[in-house]
Amino acid sequence: MSTSTVFTAAVRGIGVEFICVEADISNGLPVFHMVGYLSSEVKEAAERVRTAIKNTGLEYPPKRTVVNLSPATIKKKGASFDLPIAVAILTALGKIPKKTIKDKLFIGELGLDGRLLKVPGILPIVIEAKEMQVKTCIMPKENAAEGSLAGGIEIIGAESLKEVCMYLNGESIFSTSLCSGGNRKKHQMKETLDFADMQGQEAVERAAEIAVSGGHNFLLVGPPGSGKSMTAKRMATILPPMSLEESMEVTKIYSIAGLVDTKRPLIEKRPFRSVHHTATKAALTGGGLVPSPGEISLAHSGVLFLDELPEFRKTVLEVLRQPLEEKKIEINRVHGNYTFPANFILVAAMNPCPCGCYPDMERCVCSPVQIQNYLRKISQPFLDRIDICVEAPRVTYEELTTKKKTESSADIRERIVRTRRIQKNRFLESGMEIYTNSMMGIKETETFCLLDNEGKNILQQAFETMKLTARSYHKILKVARTIADMDESENIHAKHLREAIGYRTLDKKYWGR
Amino acid sequence: MKMTETKKEYEFWLARIRHLPNQKKYLLHTHMKSAERVYYIEETEMRKLTFLNEKERNTIMQAQKEKDIKIAYEKLEEKGIHFITCFMDAYPSKLKEIADFPYALYVKGSLPDETKKHAAIVGARRCTPYGEKYALEFGKMLAEYGVEIISGLARGIDGMGQRGALLGKGKTFAVLGSGVDVCYPKEHMGLYVDILEQGGGILSEQPPGTPPLSIHFPMRNRIISGMSDTVLVIEARKRSGSLITAYMALEQGRDIYALPGPVNSGLSEGCNQLIRQGAGVLLSPEILLEEIGIQVVAGNKKSDKNKKMLESPENMVYSCVGLYPKSISQLLEETRLESEELLQRLVSLELQGLIREISKNYYIKIK
Repeated sequence: MSTSTVFTAAVRGIGVEFICVEADISNGLPVFHMVGYLSSEVKEAAERVRTAIKNTGLEYPPKRTVVNLSPATIKKKGASFDLPIAVAILTALGKIPKKTIKDKLFIGELGLDGRLLKVPGILPIVIEAKEMQVKTCIMPKENAAEGSLAGGIEIIGAESLKEVCMYLNGESIFSTSLCSGGNRKKHQMKETLDFADMQGQEAVERAAEIAVSGGHNFLLVGPPGSGKSMTAKRMATILPPMSLEESMEVTKIYSIAGLVDTKRPLIEKRPFRSVHHTATKAALTGGGLVPSPGEISLAHSGVLFLDELPEFRKTVLEVLRQPLEEKKIEINRVHGNYTFPANFILVAAMNPCPCGCYPDMERCVCSPVQIQNYLRKISQPFLDRIDICVEAPRVTYEELTTKKKTESSADIRERIVRTRRIQKNRFLESGMEIYTNSMMGIKETETFCLLDNEGKNILQQAFETMKLTARSYHKILKVARTIADMDESENIHAKHLREAIGYRTLDKKYWGR
Repeated sequence: MKMTETKKEYEFWLARIRHLPNQKKYLLHTHMKSAERVYYIEETEMRKLTFLNEKERNTIMQAQKEKDIKIAYEKLEEKGIHFITCFMDAYPSKLKEIADFPYALYVKGSLPDETKKHAAIVGARRCTPYGEKYALEFGKMLAEYGVEIISGLARGIDGMGQRGALLGKGKTFAVLGSGVDVCYPKEHMGLYVDILEQGGGILSEQPPGTPPLSIHFPMRNRIISGMSDTVLVIEARKRSGSLITAYMALEQGRDIYALPGPVNSGLSEGCNQLIRQGAGVLLSPEILLEEIGIQVVAGNKKSDKNKKMLESPENMVYSCVGLYPKSISQLLEETRLESEELLQRLVSLELQGLIREISKNYYIKIK
C-alpha cells in the first residue's frame, strides 16, 4: 500500500490542461481527504468513488486516504475526475498493477453501481493527449466513438469500473475496445428544407447566395410573414460542405458544450444556430465561471440567425461587434482569459417598423417617431458590420399559387462550392490564410478588388449621391468581388459593382424618413 | 396706434388671460379704449358691461391680481418675441377678415408682407413620397415667384411645403399650436431655424411656453387659412385635420386647390373629394401661378428630355418606378428582368439621381 499517480485532463476554454491524480493510502484514522483547488462537484466525487469501488465488489479497507489533484493552481470542475480518482485509489491499494497505468489517460464519471457515464470535452482532450504521446485513453463507452475521431491513439471504451479493472489486470480481451482511427463514413443527410419551396423571392434568393458564397453578413428586412425566417433557415441547406479540419474544429466546440451525438459524433453539416431574442449576453458569447462556448461559438463555420433583430437587448447586440470583426470571442475572467473561435455568417431578420408595413403608408400605422425608436435599437456600428441588406417582400397570392420552377438548394450549393473554391485558390496563391472574400482586410481589398475606370466613376458617383462611408466603401468592394467571382470574372466590372451597391445597408439617418 | 412700453405691458396682460374668449377681449378693449383701463376696472363697473358673465368677471378679477406681468413681458423681449394685438397696425389685415380672428399674435422673426400673395400648403402628417414630392415642388416654385408660404411646421406635407419654400429662396411662415418658442415636432428644429434665418417667421396665438396641446391645433389651422389667399391641400384623408382646414378656408372665402391622387389611395381621398366638390385642381405649379395671377417666365418649364437619354432596359425600369414606393419584387414582376440585372439598373438610375431608395429595396421616382 502506497501512493500512485494517474493521468487525466480537463477542458479549459477551448484548450486542455493535463492533471495528475495522486492517491495515498496509509494507516491512520479512516478518512477520505481530497485536495487540489476543487469545486464542489469534484469534492462530491469522494462519495461516488468509494461507493462505486464497494459496489464493484472490491474491498476498500478502512484506512486514511488522501487524494490530490495537481497542479493545484487550476480550478477543477466537472465529474470527469471520478474514474481517474478511482483508478488512483485502486492502484494505491494494489488492486491494479502500477506499471499498467503508465502512458494511459483516464476520464469518466462514475455511478454508485460502478457504471461509467459520459462526460463532455472528450475530443479536444484526446487530440491533445495524442500530442503528449499518450498511448491509450480509457473512457466511458458512450464517449468512445467521439474519442476515436482523433485517430492515431488507442481508445478504450468501458462500461463500468469493473471492466476497467479487468482490462488493466489483463484479465479479458476487451470486447468493447475500439481500434485507433475513426471510421468516417460519408453519410448523406436528407434535407427537409429546400430553396425550391420558395416562390416569388428571386431577389432574396440571389442575395442569400451571394452572402453564403462570400461569407458576408446578411440582413433581411421585410413585413411579417414575408418569408424572412424561411429564407434564413434555408440558408443552412446551401452552405458548402466542411473539410475534415473544419469538422473537427466544430466537433471540438460541440464536445466541450456536451452536445455531441454519442453514435455519430463527427459534425459534418455546418451548424445553423437560431437564437431567440430573449437570449442573454452570456448565452451568446459563452459564460460561466469557467466559460463554456456560447451560441456564437456553436455557430462557428456556419450561420448564426437572429430573428426579430430589434427585439434583442441592445447590450446583447453590442457584444457581437468584436466577434464579428475578429472572428473569435475573448472572455476575461479573474483566473484567466478564454478564447473561443466564432467565425460565422450573421443572418439577421427584422421588420421595417413596429407594425411591419412601412413604407406602405396605407397600411402602416406607425408614427415617424415610433419608426425611429424602433430602428434606434440597432446601433450604427452594428449595422456597419452587415455587408448585404435586402428586403423580403410580401408574397402575393398569385406568387404563392403559381408554381414556378425555382432552383433547388443542391443547384445553388454547387455554384457556391465553385465560388468558394475560386476565392480559396486566389488567397492561397498569394499565401494568405483567408478563404472567403468577407475575411479580407483593407489591404487585401486594395490588392484584390481592382476597378476599371468605369467602376471608379460609379463608386465616386455613389459616394457623392448616396453619402457612403469609408466602411461601406470597403464592404461594397468585397461584395462586388464575390459577385464577380460568382460570374467567374477576374476583374470587377461595372455591373458587379452596381449590384453590390444595391445591397448596401441603408444609413439609418435616411431610413424610415 | 403707437404705444409706449408700459402700455404694451398692459396689452400683453389682457392678451395673456386664459379662459377669456377672444371676442370678449376684443369687446372689452373697444369698450374701455385701452388695456390699461381694463386692468384698473372696478367690479361695479364691470357689472355694467352686459357682455360679461359672472365667470368671466371672476377671471378678470383674478388676472388683475397678477404681479409678475412686467417680468413676463421682459422675458418676451429677451427671447426676441414680438407681440401684436388686433388693434395694432402690424396685425395681418387678411387675418382680421375672418370671423374668429385671434386677439393677439406672438411672433418670432418677421410677419408676412402685406403686399405679397400668400399660399398655405397643408396636408397629412403621415404622407406618401408622392405627397412629399409635390409639397416640395409647389412650395419651391411658388416661393420662387415671390409667393409667401404659410403652413404649420408639422411633419409630412406641412414641413415639406415649407422646406420647398426655403429651397425656392422665399419667405415662409409657420403657425404653431404651441408657444412660438416651443418647436414641435422636435425633429423640425432645423427647419425652424432655417425659416427664421431666411427672413420668415414663427407665429402663434398661444403665449410663449405653451406646450403643443391637441386642442390648440384646430384653432391654429384657422390662422393658417386666414392668413392666406390660397390654400393648397396636398394629401388628406377623408376625415382629417387638413380637410377641416380646407372647409374652414372655404368659410373664410379662400381659394382652395387640391392635389388629385389615385382613387384607391386613402391619403388622396380627401383631396379627390374636395375636387369633386369644386376645389381647384393642382396640375402643376405653373398652372397654379397663372391662375392666381402671376406670369410664369417661359422656358422655365421642366423638360422631360432626360428620359430619352437613358438606354432602353433602364428606360423600362425607370418607367415602372412611380411616385408611390415599389418594392423590388413588384418591379421584377413588371419588368421581367433577372434580379441581378434589375438591381444593377436601379442602382444606375439612383446614381443618376432619377430615383431614390426610400426604404430597403423600395424605390420612388424623384425626377
